[in-house]
Amino acid sequence: MLQRSDTINPDSTSFNQADSAAKIAEPQIFDPRTDLDPEMDYGTPAPTNDPTPISELITLSIDGTEVRVPKGTSVMRAATMAGINIPKLCATDSLEAFGSCRLCLVQIEGRRGFPASCTTPAEEGMEVKTQNEKVANLRRNVMEMYISDHPLDCLTCSANGDCELQDMAGVVGLRNVRYGYDGNNHLDAEKDTSNPYFTFDPSKCIVCSRCVRACEETQGTFALTISSRGFDSKVSPGQDQPFMDSECVSCGACVQVCPTATLSEKSIIDKGQPDHSVITTCAYCGVGCAFKADMKGDEVVRMTPWKGGKANRGHSCVKGRFAFGYATHGDRITSPMIRESIDQPWRKVSYEEAFTFAADRIKGIQKQYGRNSVGGITSSRCTNEETYLVQKLVRAAFGNNNVDTCARVCHSPTGFGLKTTFGESAGTQTFDSVEKTDVMMVIGANPTDAHPVFGSRMKKRLREGAKLIVVDPRSIDLVDGPHVKADYHLKLRPGTNVAFINAMAHVIVDEGLEAKESIAERCDVEAFEVWKKFISDKRHSPEETEQYSGIPAADIRAAARLYATGGNSAIYYGLGVTEHSQGSSMVMGIANLAMLTNNIGREGVGVNPLRGQNNVQGSCDMGSFPHELPGYRHISGQEVRDQFEKAWGVTLDSEPGYRITNMLDAAVEGTYKGLYVQGEDIAQSDPNTHHVEEALRNMECLIVQDIFLNETAKFAHVFLPGSSFLEKDGTFTNAERRISPVRKVMSPLGELSDWEVTLGLSKALGYEMHYNHPSEIMDEIASLTPTFANVSYDRLDKEGSLQWPCNDESPNGTPIMHIDEFTRGKGYFALTEYVPTEEKVTKRFPMLLTTGRILSQYNVGAQTRRTENSSWHGEDVLEIHPHDAEDRGINNGDKISLASRAGDTHLRALVTSRMQPGVVYTTFHHPESGANVITTDNSDWATNCPEYKVTAVQVSKVANAEESSEWQEKFAEFTKKQIAFLDV
Amino acid sequence: MSTNELGHLIKMANQIASNIGVGVSEEDAVDRVVTHISMFWARPMREKVCANIETSADELNPTATKALKQIRAKL
Repeated sequence: MLQRSDTINPDSTSFNQADSAAKIAEPQIFDPRTDLDPEMDYGTPAPTNDPTPISELITLSIDGTEVRVPKGTSVMRAATMAGINIPKLCATDSLEAFGSCRLCLVQIEGRRGFPASCTTPAEEGMEVKTQNEKVANLRRNVMEMYISDHPLDCLTCSANGDCELQDMAGVVGLRNVRYGYDGNNHLDAEKDTSNPYFTFDPSKCIVCSRCVRACEETQGTFALTISSRGFDSKVSPGQDQPFMDSECVSCGACVQVCPTATLSEKSIIDKGQPDHSVITTCAYCGVGCAFKADMKGDEVVRMTPWKGGKANRGHSCVKGRFAFGYATHGDRITSPMIRESIDQPWRKVSYEEAFTFAADRIKGIQKQYGRNSVGGITSSRCTNEETYLVQKLVRAAFGNNNVDTCARVCHSPTGFGLKTTFGESAGTQTFDSVEKTDVMMVIGANPTDAHPVFGSRMKKRLREGAKLIVVDPRSIDLVDGPHVKADYHLKLRPGTNVAFINAMAHVIVDEGLEAKESIAERCDVEAFEVWKKFISDKRHSPEETEQYSGIPAADIRAAARLYATGGNSAIYYGLGVTEHSQGSSMVMGIANLAMLTNNIGREGVGVNPLRGQNNVQGSCDMGSFPHELPGYRHISGQEVRDQFEKAWGVTLDSEPGYRITNMLDAAVEGTYKGLYVQGEDIAQSDPNTHHVEEALRNMECLIVQDIFLNETAKFAHVFLPGSSFLEKDGTFTNAERRISPVRKVMSPLGELSDWEVTLGLSKALGYEMHYNHPSEIMDEIASLTPTFANVSYDRLDKEGSLQWPCNDESPNGTPIMHIDEFTRGKGYFALTEYVPTEEKVTKRFPMLLTTGRILSQYNVGAQTRRTENSSWHGEDVLEIHPHDAEDRGINNGDKISLASRAGDTHLRALVTSRMQPGVVYTTFHHPESGANVITTDNSDWATNCPEYKVTAVQVSKVANAEESSEWQEKFAEFTKKQIAFLDV
Repeated sequence: MSTNELGHLIKMANQIASNIGVGVSEEDAVDRVVTHISMFWARPMREKVCANIETSADELNPTATKALKQIRAKL
């Protein structure tokens, strides 16, 4: 295979340069995803993303240069691969060829006329001329027409320096426009500035349809079209609406492909073109998109999705593409602060003073209440290196294992369930794998909102014909969208996941659809037999479970048959699986189903947990859980402890520590008094807010390290400034186990990067750590974690990203796991009895609340609320079915009271048939909404992951729309007081 | 709603027993609960619930009770 290089020059690669073949060993395989330069635009997409044996390439001649390309490659793409750039306007390699601009005309020996090179497939022996006088004249004529209806304000145009129209005018040698500029034109077309991030200036539009096609092909929203005909043709969002009123989701795909200034980022209009770019990794969801941070000096002026990014393949969403302004928001706190109690104003101090204050308090607490009375929480929003340091600080400097991470409250059941069944706490696939999937089963996930870039890739595959099973109480967008429709939407009752998954398995066994051969070969047969007997029991049949789940038995039978026999079946799941009292059982049930049908260990299949935050996988990998050291090795193992004790020079506690929920319980009891929280906001994100607040008020030393004064920081005694992902070096690990570099593009506003702050605190605690750069932290991680053994910054720079396990056995990483055998050896079928949650509807609380996310906001909203993304979602609302609303006299937009046994809050109602009767839904992006005032302290039996997805509630109309709940009033008062403490 | 630590620990022990104690013999069920709690619960949590086995007899299910007694013996 050709060596991959980010800066590969197609002119110098051996496969297309016959004369250089002698210098470099002839490769055997051509892989379009690794052998081409992601910085180049090849005009049309690769005909296949699969590697092609060199022997199967076809050979053609372009301007006398011989080039070998995979069958189906366009002449335009072949030319670009040979280093010959054919002029083009409507073509770009993220979109299928369109053939409208007529600029890419060429001549082909033996053929008539001037075919468009973008729509003409290359053929064996073809002889192409891309340049001669005739072609040049035609191109000039085409450009002349375009320019006759285009404002000639190039010098003051926002696209100056980044305009393909301008470039092409230069390339074709346009020198005058014979038609003049006085004829009919579009120069007065009105500019649409409704979107907060980009403008649409139709006067500059050449109607190349790139934006329309990007919205269809890349994003899959179909918000744009060309309205009218002929001269009147124009790009139309929705039905000739402003962008903000249309279905546009502001992913930026249209802006990305626009060859002119028609679709321009407002930041570029304001500030001008960037002077340099740095490739980094998005700090939002678990997709982990690669972006170019486009810079002017040390200011980010734009984020553009990087085509070389293996997770996103050049696509983006409204968060990663546009919502980066929070990094320099005025609310950033850039000085360390301390205070004796939370009823006092903050005092700005030096880092040294803050570290000493914090360390003295922690030491004092441990002296008074015991070694176990303090702990720490790592963040899934921080880098692997930072997370590793916090857990190291807790284990080495605090001397206990009281470290946990926010994955506790989202994907801890994934870790437990997949470790038990497969032997590794991680998803099994790459995102690319979806391109080979025939049947997708999406359970408790809403990818088009929470993992939008991957959601778009799913939709693309669905438009190609893959089948879809959606298992969700709500009608998520995937159920019925443009050119995407679920074959089965299994609308289950919240809390009945395990009944559902057992019924699926029951049908497969009952109907003899299981993959007997692979089970016998790859799985623990004894355990399988026990499980088979268990699952065959009638109580798991869909006819029986229908009474709990509400899913018609016939639908489950049909869906089970499709999953078992439809080809490559893949399960994608989210927090609708894990955040239940049986989250771990459900994950194991999913794993059972994949093993049962041999949908594991190759492309197109697998078990794919969609991770909520950018580094959920990484924070778990780095030993953030209280029972295990980095690499998921239990703390009780003497051999593993020995390695770490030797490297860290301390004796480690062999007992598991407290999990977040246990820490809070102990704090309420008064036995747990000190907590170091890095980059998390447990006061907003954790369930049963009353309980969390009581625990936090009981702390004698709460140290919060964050970029903003978040809700938790309002209860803190020490505030240490955090740094955004733009201000530090490090790595994030996404949902496909992909370790990607995060690169520092600006200095930390608080002077220190997060990792340096942890070093300072640790030193003050008496445990000094020595690192000059995060790369040295990664070197230590690699030396102590077998699955990371071959990971280093040098390798990441060279490869772009690496998927763990990456060690001597898999030197280039592991895209697909469990290929020949499971990590644990034989796959284990775990028994998953359906145990109904204790959270049941009652006369007092007759409905079920389930919670989730929305596209424009991210998690607790600390970042996205400080951007224009709030234009889409300025407040959390309660989604309620029209029947339930009518019963309660609730109209759309009415203020309602949402109450559970844990508390109550007031929200506005959104009446929508997306909900099923009896089930309501809200998000938790705004702290004043108090969604978690409602959620309870029920949790998963194995991991204590909270049951956010099932809360018995009552909804009633509030007479006075201005009235807040008691908690909301107290919250507002407390917030006002705490903000005032900042200004003293 | 029980929000005290002991109440939570009892509920958690019962939940574990109901979930991993199914489909196996009583002896295996107890073993599994013992292993799970020993692997995932902090020592102070084990100590607290084990000190209250008798006083919480009405609330603990039989498998959980047996498992906690075994855990107590090893503390």
